[in-house]
Amino acid sequence: MRSGQLASALLALPLFGLAACPSNPSDPPPIVYQCGTTDPPAVVPAAEVCGVGDRDLPPEPSFPTDICQELAANKATPDEDNLDTARIQAALTACKGRAVRLVPDSANSANSAFITSTLSVNSVTLWIERGVTLYASRNPELYQKTGNCGTIGVNDSGACADVITMSGTSPAIVGDGTIDGQGGEPLVGRDYSWWQSSYALRGIDGSIGNPTLINTASGTTGLLLYRITLHNSPKFHVKITSTPSYGTTACTNNGDGFIVWGITLLTPSQWTNSRGDVLTPSFARNTDGVDPGANNIAQCGVIACNTISTGDDHIAVKGGHWVSNLVIAHNHFGTGHGMSIGSETYGSYTSPDGVQHRGVENVSVYDLTIDADSRPVGYDAQAADFNGIRVKSDESRGGVVKNITYRDICMRDMTNAILISTAYNPLFAGTYFPQFGSLSFQNIHHVTCMGLTLPVLTLNGFSAVYPAGPITLDNVIVDNMGPMDVSSQFANIVLGPGNFGPDEQTRYTPSGLGVSVTENRTGVSVPRTCVFPTLPAPTIPPGWLR
Amino acid sequence: MRIRLCYFALPLLSTAGPVACMNAPALTISGACVADAINIDCTVNGLPGNTLGLLGYSCTGSARPDDSPTYIDGVPQGLICADRGAANADGTQNYCCTTATMPCAYNPVATCEDKTNDGFQCRGSSRPESLNPATSCTQGVWEGDLINYCCSGTPRVHPCADYGGCGPGRTGWTCPANVLPSAQDLGVSQSRADLYYLLCPVPVQAPNPNYYNFCCFAAAPIPPGGTCIQDLNVPGCAPGRFGIACYGRDTPDQDFPSMTCPDPGVPGVSAQNYPATVYCCDFKDQ
Repeated sequence: MRSGQLASALLALPLFGLAACPSNPSDPPPIVYQCGTTDPPAVVPAAEVCGVGDRDLPPEPSFPTDICQELAANKATPDEDNLDTARIQAALTACKGRAVRLVPDSANSANSAFITSTLSVNSVTLWIERGVTLYASRNPELYQKTGNCGTIGVNDSGACADVITMSGTSPAIVGDGTIDGQGGEPLVGRDYSWWQSSYALRGIDGSIGNPTLINTASGTTGLLLYRITLHNSPKFHVKITSTPSYGTTACTNNGDGFIVWGITLLTPSQWTNSRGDVLTPSFARNTDGVDPGANNIAQCGVIACNTISTGDDHIAVKGGHWVSNLVIAHNHFGTGHGMSIGSETYGSYTSPDGVQHRGVENVSVYDLTIDADSRPVGYDAQAADFNGIRVKSDESRGGVVKNITYRDICMRDMTNAILISTAYNPLFAGTYFPQFGSLSFQNIHHVTCMGLTLPVLTLNGFSAVYPAGPITLDNVIVDNMGPMDVSSQFANIVLGPGNFGPDEQTRYTPSGLGVSVTENRTGVSVPRTCVFPTLPAPTIPPGWLR
Repeated sequence: MRIRLCYFALPLLSTAGPVACMNAPALTISGACVADAINIDCTVNGLPGNTLGLLGYSCTGSARPDDSPTYIDGVPQGLICADRGAANADGTQNYCCTTATMPCAYNPVATCEDKTNDGFQCRGSSRPESLNPATSCTQGVWEGDLINYCCSGTPRVHPCADYGGCGPGRTGWTCPANVLPSAQDLGVSQSRADLYYLLCPVPVQAPNPNYYNFCCFAAAPIPPGGTCIQDLNVPGCAPGRFGIACYGRDTPDQDFPSMTCPDPGVPGVSAQNYPATVYCCDFKDQ
């Protein structure tokens, strides 16, 4: 562990000549640094293959056997003057119900690049072979919808078409290849990139209309993303609306609605672009990883065995319509804004049987690591860049969130280890009051490794009329958390049977305006042992300091 | 009652005092308030006021239970009161107020578009209606570290409905007379980053003569030094066109790239009645 060295170094810093002052009894205790264990074994025993034996998950997906067409790459780099849009789309259109595989040029293995603008993956499988990269064109005119696509500084979130739109029955994108949105590269005819265009609106929290890398049309059933690598989306990476083919409300087997399994999402994928501009996660703004429910209802889904590092939410469950029966398991997150629900939670969906379904419900998140130390994030990173678990909404977009369980989760060096907030943007007025119901946290451990700020927990309901809860905290251990680092209001909190506090023995009891606490803690609990695997990260250029 | 302002003096060279407070002399308040938990109903959503941390008051004159806020180290502290409808026949006014102080201060000199609203200035992320569910507030506006709100005890229902007759790049609403669409009418966006500044044209009469149609767009941020703002009262600016008033030398097309202004500006006054150069402009159809 580096803990001792780092702590010693910090304590040795002379602060205005006062380093020799004797300690004050009221001083907070020194930070205890505990980085978690190192990598798991390089060779994972077969029995530990991700998802195997988990009865809440379907079997791991597999690659298709029915290949309709195979297209070979004819270029080594993404040549904007030689797009592959037409030939790929023609194959996808001709091969409904079957698969189109993109492969390297067998005669010249250096030719492994495809480049396209908008593609429709309708009831077909797009298979990208290992070593192949499908690049998104950098030409905004090819995505133009309102005229503002690619225009810097314009608040028009609908300005551009999406790169890939999935729709129909069982559309899939699979393979060990890569889809690269080129978000950090200069746009054709401009001297700025998609991300620079978005970053220009950061000061006002504005929303640029950059293309989504993979979007889903309403009415899609049985969507699959399997093992694909996603890099550098201009905006959101994956927006999912998909349900089982047998109906929008039933869920016979988890994953019948959609499956995202074994994908690797890394954005930015390099520390500099082709022009030498530095790219950091905080610079890659609005690049959510996977957003179920972003366009319409998402039901009966599985998001499992993925690694995600990006510049915005790792996962944001969007309740603007209705999201239910979602299993998020065995994932590893690096940089990003959190395992999130919201901010839209106001959704309402009346199913054909006349039942009204609301917001986000029945979500199970387990076996997750979130590691802020997976890579540097950039000089302009803010506290919001280090969120662990969060449920966010406000009265302009709030609604029902209930039956959400989080268990067996490790986090490292978050600013907000758990953030339940009903004031995502306090400026916004409205009458969609957040109604956060049962949220359960079990076997959660947050460790401090390199962080210099102490982790904070926020457990807020909206008001005395709409309190949150029950919020159950059972064996939730947040190293170095002080009593003042827990903020709560308008919440019904249940503690136990495991401890809630900075270690296994020190008991914290949240308090605040409109907070009620039910004490069920018994004995001493054992904090979850944390293993943080080494996650994919860009190679640091020579001469850079880690 | 008087407004009491407190601040910390900076501890320089160990000679400064710890806290200094001052009374603001400007406002004189007549009348008094009496708590009345029995006759004043503070029920919200069927929940009795006493379970929500609310207490009823009856006030005479200009007095309010929340008119004595303090600022301690820049943090407002005060009660948050919501009026309970119009004044009573005897001239008294009923309020439902928080029983505890909150990080908000009643602001008697706030400028609220709706004159029946009351101004509050708050610190932190909780809006006033979180802390006092009997009140309802408008969009917040930052002022340094604090947020200003205009609030009312009357539940707010925004009366604008979607209108689909606008061209690309614009969003439409139909609103009753004298009501303007506001950014909150955009509802939600698909992003975490969705703070919009709406620019709306002179309204067009809807088929129902009591309603007007607006085709607005979310403008880019005004560049530093930009002085142009929306003005629906520019003389001669026809319905559907955008009236803009500029206080400085900049022009609307400089501040709003989606705008084109075929005619030069003319001296006039802004909607706030300040001297300005006024323009009549159009949205650039893409």
